[in-house]
Amino acid sequence: MSAAPSAPAAGRSYTCNWCGAVSDGTSLSCPSCGATINVKEIVTPTGWIEMPGRKDMAKLQIGKSSCQIEGLYVPAADFNLSPEDGVYFAHHVLLWKENSVAISMMSMKGAWKRAFAGMPIFMTQAKGPGHIAFSRDLPGELLALPLQPGQAVDVREHFLLVATDQVDYGWTNTNIWFNTKNGDETETHYPLGMFLDRFSASKMPGLLLLHASGNVFVRQLAPGQSILIKPTALIFKDPTVSMQLHFEHPNSGWNLWMSYIQRYLWLRVTGPGRIAIQSAFEPVEDNGQTITNHSPATRQQW
Amino acid sequence: MVQPAQAQNEAVERLKCNWCQGINLKTALSCQFCGAPLDLKDVVSESGWREAPRLKDMTEFHISNSTCQVEGEIVPVAEINVGQGDAFYFEHHVMLWKDPTVPMSVLQLPGGMKRVLAGMPFIISIAQGPGRVAFSRDATGELVVLPLHPGMELDVREHAFLLASANITYSFERIKGLRNILFGGQGMYMDRFVTTNQSGLLILHGYGNVFERTLKPGESILVEPGAFLYKDSTVQMNVQMQQLSTGIFGGSAMSLAQMIGPGRVGIQSMYVHHATE
Repeated sequence: MSAAPSAPAAGRSYTCNWCGAVSDGTSLSCPSCGATINVKEIVTPTGWIEMPGRKDMAKLQIGKSSCQIEGLYVPAADFNLSPEDGVYFAHHVLLWKENSVAISMMSMKGAWKRAFAGMPIFMTQAKGPGHIAFSRDLPGELLALPLQPGQAVDVREHFLLVATDQVDYGWTNTNIWFNTKNGDETETHYPLGMFLDRFSASKMPGLLLLHASGNVFVRQLAPGQSILIKPTALIFKDPTVSMQLHFEHPNSGWNLWMSYIQRYLWLRVTGPGRIAIQSAFEPVEDNGQTITNHSPATRQQW
Repeated sequence: MVQPAQAQNEAVERLKCNWCQGINLKTALSCQFCGAPLDLKDVVSESGWREAPRLKDMTEFHISNSTCQVEGEIVPVAEINVGQGDAFYFEHHVMLWKDPTVPMSVLQLPGGMKRVLAGMPFIISIAQGPGRVAFSRDATGELVVLPLHPGMELDVREHAFLLASANITYSFERIKGLRNILFGGQGMYMDRFVTTNQSGLLILHGYGNVFERTLKPGESILVEPGAFLYKDSTVQMNVQMQQLSTGIFGGSAMSLAQMIGPGRVGIQSMYVHHATE
């Protein structure tokens, strides 16, 4: 299967400002990722790019298969798989399917470590021909990330909706953690989880669909440029983006009797590369105990 | 030199925002004080509820030396470019991202122990300019931008405020009456925001859609307690029990909040549900 978008018509060429795919620009949406064609790229003054408006019923072409994005609040990805194509997904995101689509289990490498980290150890695989659709249970946006051969992306766990067979699924340590001590008990916290999913394309292009809560914003960080984000807001990053903890202590002017309220836990992300965040995120867990050890971190006392 | 007649015409051609009453240039598409679209009609239901203005993506408005930009429409983000000399306060867990250089401090709050016992935010953080900080909450909803003019008092449901400018006084108001506390669904306290001599900016996050209604003196309505979002301090709030009979199976009761005017009442459509008694 080839994920290459339709060849540009003579004299016409349109480069998608979301995924970079080149098409002839005659359709309403990018055939590679579904972003609206000719949409004026929306960028905040700080450089965050809001995910481009994706029209209801936008269609993505993936070789001989296609995917239609349906709905705007909790969008569903409706795949029309050709006989030679397949996708994989976590079983609980399956919305509906036709009888002709065969599903089976796909085992993952490093099952013990994955189970220990609370990551899925089995994925479900679907083979064409036929229609199969996926959605999650939260209002939000679907991100289509076409991966070219040699390209990889690190995704926070549980964001995957579905990926085509050409996408390899591995994982990498976050190396973001801290220990707190309460009496004799030491507790280790992983604000990002222990692992990040790493999706890559080796020989063939593939398509990755993620689902995030709320709105999605992407920012390209220059080499050495860093910002602070809430760990639970991260969706994905390029592997070139480095991460570390940042502890920030506001100037309270007085001593507080609960230590945790004197610190904010941040994730410092440093370029070069892309990062994406979601606007709806869970509070960062912090039990307020003294931090006894942590992964490499920066600190600011105001 | 501008002639008096010309000046009068220009004054007439200014646009008044239906939401915050701010006066804008006739060319403005959105209110410079609250971001409400000026090219859309007021959306008011037959029963008198006005929809909070749907802020267009990337709408920008101003307060003092600072600018606020609204980003996204499902769970909108308020990105504040805090100007030199300005400051904004908020509950720290609503910060989405910030420039590393933005200084942070803590607002000194009266009644700290009462607040802890009531489950109210004990620590309120302050971000000072210059620099950028962005805020969002954890569920689908709308930003409600409420520019507060001098001398205003607004009561807000606990944990519903996203941020406020530092020139607004932040306190809390005990909800009176045992029935209000036990059955009102608000807890014991509400946040109270007060302006004295200066105007300020208050931004709330309401779950689902937000509607506002202005009650006349003595006019009252009953609302689901979990839907209450804000009210003018002139609006009284009481609990009214509704008896629900189920014949031979007995019955149950549900509590509703009775709001008595005069003043504004704001509600959210995706409310916290409180089970019947």
